[in-house]
Amino acid sequence: MRAVLIAFILFLALAIAGSAQRAQQGAIPPVAPLPAAPRSTPDAKEPVAKEPAAPMETVEGYDNIVRPFVIDNCVPCHGYKKQKNGLNLESFENAASLTDDHDRWSEVVKKLRSREMPPEEEPQPPEHQRQAVAGWLAKELDRIDKSTPPDPGRVTARRLNRTEYNNTVRDLLGVDIRPADDFPQDDAGYGFDNIADVLSLSPVLMEKYVSAADKITRRALFGPPAMKPTLTRLRSDGRRVRDAKTFPGQYDVTGLSLPNAFHTMFRVPIDGEYVVRAALAGLRPVASEAIAVTLWVDDQLVQTIPFDSERSATFNDDRQDFGGQMVEFKAQLTSGDRHIAVAIPRIFEGLPPRFNGPNPSTRPTPPPREFKPPPNATPERIAQLRKTFEDTQAELAKIPMNGVRINTLDIGGPYSQATGPTRASLQKIYTCGHPTGAHTPMCARRIVTDFARRAFRRSVTSQELTPYIKLTEAAEKEEGSLAEGLAVGLQAILVSPDFLFRIERDRTNTGKTVAAHYPISQHELATRLAYFLWASMPDASLRRAADMGTLRNPAVLAAQVRRMLRDPKSSALAENFGGQWLQFRALESVTRDRERYPDFEDYLRFSMRRETELFIEDVIQHDRKVLDFIDGKYTFINERLARHYGIAGVTGPEFRRVDLNDTPRAGVLTQASVLTVSSYATRTSPVLRGRWVLDNLLDAPPPEPPADVPNLKEEEIGTSASMREQLELHRKDPTCASCHRRMDPLGFGLENFDATGAWRTMDGKFPIDATGTLPDGRKFDGPEELRLILRADHQAFEHCLTAKLLTYALGRGLERYDKRTVSGIVSRLPEHEYRFSGLILEIVKSLPFQSRRAASTASTP
Amino acid sequence: MIITRMHLPRRSFLKGMGAVIALPMLDAMTPAFAAPRLQARPVRLGFTYVPNGITMPEWSPKGTGAGFEFARVMKPLEPFRQDMLVMSGLAQRNGQALGDGPGDHARAAASYLTGVHPRKTAGADIQNGISVDQVAAQQIGSATRFPSLELGCDDSRTIGNCDSGYSCAYTNSLAWRGPATPMPPETNPRLVFERLFGDIDTSLSPEVRARRLMYRRSILDLVNERTSKLASTLGPTDRRKLDEYLTSIREIEQRIEKAEKDMTGLTPTIDKPTGVPVVYADYVNLMFDLQLIAFQADQTRIVTMMMGREGSMRTYPELGVPDPHHPLTHHRGNPEWIERVTKINTLHMELFAGFIKKMKETPDGDGSLLDHTIIVYGSGLSDGNRHTHEDLPIAVIGHGGGFRMGSHIVYPKGTPLTNLFLTVLDRVGVQQETIGDSTGRIEHLTDL
Repeated sequence: MRAVLIAFILFLALAIAGSAQRAQQGAIPPVAPLPAAPRSTPDAKEPVAKEPAAPMETVEGYDNIVRPFVIDNCVPCHGYKKQKNGLNLESFENAASLTDDHDRWSEVVKKLRSREMPPEEEPQPPEHQRQAVAGWLAKELDRIDKSTPPDPGRVTARRLNRTEYNNTVRDLLGVDIRPADDFPQDDAGYGFDNIADVLSLSPVLMEKYVSAADKITRRALFGPPAMKPTLTRLRSDGRRVRDAKTFPGQYDVTGLSLPNAFHTMFRVPIDGEYVVRAALAGLRPVASEAIAVTLWVDDQLVQTIPFDSERSATFNDDRQDFGGQMVEFKAQLTSGDRHIAVAIPRIFEGLPPRFNGPNPSTRPTPPPREFKPPPNATPERIAQLRKTFEDTQAELAKIPMNGVRINTLDIGGPYSQATGPTRASLQKIYTCGHPTGAHTPMCARRIVTDFARRAFRRSVTSQELTPYIKLTEAAEKEEGSLAEGLAVGLQAILVSPDFLFRIERDRTNTGKTVAAHYPISQHELATRLAYFLWASMPDASLRRAADMGTLRNPAVLAAQVRRMLRDPKSSALAENFGGQWLQFRALESVTRDRERYPDFEDYLRFSMRRETELFIEDVIQHDRKVLDFIDGKYTFINERLARHYGIAGVTGPEFRRVDLNDTPRAGVLTQASVLTVSSYATRTSPVLRGRWVLDNLLDAPPPEPPADVPNLKEEEIGTSASMREQLELHRKDPTCASCHRRMDPLGFGLENFDATGAWRTMDGKFPIDATGTLPDGRKFDGPEELRLILRADHQAFEHCLTAKLLTYALGRGLERYDKRTVSGIVSRLPEHEYRFSGLILEIVKSLPFQSRRAASTASTP
Repeated sequence: MIITRMHLPRRSFLKGMGAVIALPMLDAMTPAFAAPRLQARPVRLGFTYVPNGITMPEWSPKGTGAGFEFARVMKPLEPFRQDMLVMSGLAQRNGQALGDGPGDHARAAASYLTGVHPRKTAGADIQNGISVDQVAAQQIGSATRFPSLELGCDDSRTIGNCDSGYSCAYTNSLAWRGPATPMPPETNPRLVFERLFGDIDTSLSPEVRARRLMYRRSILDLVNERTSKLASTLGPTDRRKLDEYLTSIREIEQRIEKAEKDMTGLTPTIDKPTGVPVVYADYVNLMFDLQLIAFQADQTRIVTMMMGREGSMRTYPELGVPDPHHPLTHHRGNPEWIERVTKINTLHMELFAGFIKKMKETPDGDGSLLDHTIIVYGSGLSDGNRHTHEDLPIAVIGHGGGFRMGSHIVYPKGTPLTNLFLTVLDRVGVQQETIGDSTGRIEHLTDL
């Protein structure tokens, strides 16, 4: 009874305080009226600090409905005696725990509803009780959520991460050299690398900022430094051209997707002419026609050079030996990461007629050699020579008809590099209107001021700029030119914290009451928008809207968001948000066992990544429905991926949209990128994939496994026991079962895809069994039926995507007070016909995106 | 794919900041500055870390004292018996769960040099202690251009939280300059090279370069002042971010000052690396070479080197090990898996022994570089399968501490590893009373 009384008092106190603070017994929060949110808050219509309806009912409900159920069904494993997974529900003695341990109770509701708890092998409560308790709890938790005053949270000053730095410098100065690629890796939190609290600043990074600022400003003002040509040798590492004994009929005539081609992602340091030298290797039958060697840059054919092995010096005359032969291309390359490929097209053409290939060689085939014993040789000697002759002939017959390959690639340059600043850079800097000469004494001030306004992403005061201007003028005087002066002044701006950090300023309080939170400034909002959708600074149009103070006008805001999403710069959202959400960024460092997955080479790796990027870009730029991520029956592939997926009729290296209606694939879950990053180097893992789905599509991550759990018998998978048999053994252990019942079935549904995402029907000597049963009893077979289940649970996916996007947009982890923002956004998606732009717009309009908690009322958890 | 780069012009890289003097000359010049005989060379401090524990039965020596027998993993160090100590029984208890649940890999790395139990968080509010190398850097680091160097051989490109709800900052960094400030290791050899040998265009005249350095200092002065003003107007969390900024700015100011003063400069004895070598052994050797150069030229006296980050998923196809390292260590007693883990452990040791060999062959003052260095080799886990934080594999190499070397010492179970660190700090002239969970100095270390 005493407990009930305390709970009641606590609830009253909470109701009066209306505070989100976790009330602890004996520590009643101070009773102080909470001022209403300012009227201009976009979410002002949301209820503020409504009193809990009837705490007495809550207390009674908890004591009569929840507590007895918990004692009977949960406490045996989650009480004082045993605390599985660290959970002690017995200690939640009264209704106050609903507020205090809100998150844990939410988990309880989820587990009850999904029938994960109580575990299968334990006695089950009657169904009506399960539903009644879950329903009551859900309602109460929801009520408590709603009675908590809205809180937008407070985002810490955010340092630009590497991507943001690169993009910002590009847009600010027209210098696209990705200087931040040399910075130390940004740490990630909550799944993303743009989380304010985690982005720290070490002296090493500061040193790089100082050095980069120098390089960037000088490059913008004076053009790139003269670079001495260097030679980079790229070596393929033991790739084999697999021999096709007979002409395969259909094959990639460009040769790009054959294993003898060479693919690399090469960082071109500067625009200029480069030499690309390919060293060939391998054999071809004698009397074959000349081959051609082609150079491709970013999937464009740049140059074709014929190469005739028969015309060049070779050691043997009974085979074409390409070993050590060089083909040299000259190409104009633009700076940046370039996909450089060298391939041999039409490799099955021009072979001697006996290979039955297309366009056979017209060169006369030399008559077959005959063994001519030398005169006067002893019979033993003749026998020996005959054997040597026969061995050679046998070896010749084994010469692969397509044995030529690209062995190494040397890229040398730059020769005749670009010099001088670009027009774009000069226009961005010399805002006084005349890049060269004729500068007035006012020019330095004007240029520095304009630059600082863009670099700091806000309006500036002449007072704060005085030191920068003075420094510029001093250097100008010392060095004798405005440009040299600017090189120093602009550099200072690029290392200042106003540039490196996105700092949001607290509002100075003018009124009598202190607002609990307030809308951020127009320029701060423009900055949040730009970094959310472009991972870069605001452009002129956003700045103008912020200057005029119209950015919060709903029509203006909606139009800006749509414009920004259509802009090619929104590909940053696909790359950064998408790459981390779906984890395909990890493709870069993924390895695959070469014996088991000989097809997994760089071209396939690049292509996988590109497919998923293009898919997300398509959703963003063409404003598709968000559920297309789960069940869009289309994707974007090139010939390499088409071959990997077994889709006919796609030729050439360029990516195009293809219909997936007659295939088992749909959405992102069946794309090779996702299937690869959720597998091990040597095999698939239903556990990893199941977990991937829970983490990234359903936002329901399972807890970590206990430290000392049995592993699978790796060697037996596919040989003496199927993976499923092994996993089922594993699940007999009740500690494992509760989570694996949730994870494994989802992964089993994807077992038809191997560890590189290719379709298969056998795993070793076992046929694939892609059936699964979810904890709630729903059964499915294969990826198609799994997709229907995910589709049916579309709200869970929408919740997940919203939470992830909101985390990325805010640069902070979500807190309890953000829950209703997420639910609110999800509930309004139908109004937008579930379009992607609708989701983005709702996030942009939400309280946490628009506002900031005042410093004085800080109640950070 | 293997990448090598041939320089057409080598000359341009032969200049560092300031004038050019070849490295061997530095050594040759010492008599001119120093008392002829008792020229004390500074003691260098190194911490070399291997991830995911070690197959302990193959690590632990047989027998104790001077007559111990090398087990398989440590065998490559046998030629250096008289230059090393093996220590058994040391523990890092703050790596244990202590109620925080899973995440032993994150805790192993985070607690290894700090002796502090890191706060479990995937995002905001990371919290650890100051690591032993940084304690040293803060007291004696100002003597060299870089107070410390942090090197790593595992690209820390990872997404999400790195271990069971622990931020990647914990698995990636051994060195912590403050409780919330990890020092992420530099993993690109080219960038290590550029740090050591400067970034200002070496084709410019010395006067122009000197002026550029001067401008840099003015810029730093300017932003330093502006930032202090700005910080005072911000809330506490924002201010903390700007404090990090200010601390960094000040450190670089000092460094530029030293670069301006220290006109002896540096000459690279290796070609500028072009990137990360594909073969792991080449990669590690290159990073060790850079560490050696940094020590030799006295650019820093404190280096942490992670041969892999904790929880490393590196595969070792060159050893016939196609499986990623971390899952392999959860072998559940499968002898084939254990064998593969042991192969990896042994490779790490072979590469390390190669580095020690070079250290021993490099003259330094009146002896070799190894004579003036203390390197602690080890891991924050012993048994990777069971995530044990006790009886850690620890070896101390080099005569910089003046200990009597050449034996295997067994300490009582649970002796804090930080006690060893305190003793080591004494020997490099750092005054520190505690580190993390330390309970005093380590015993049984006899002086020469």
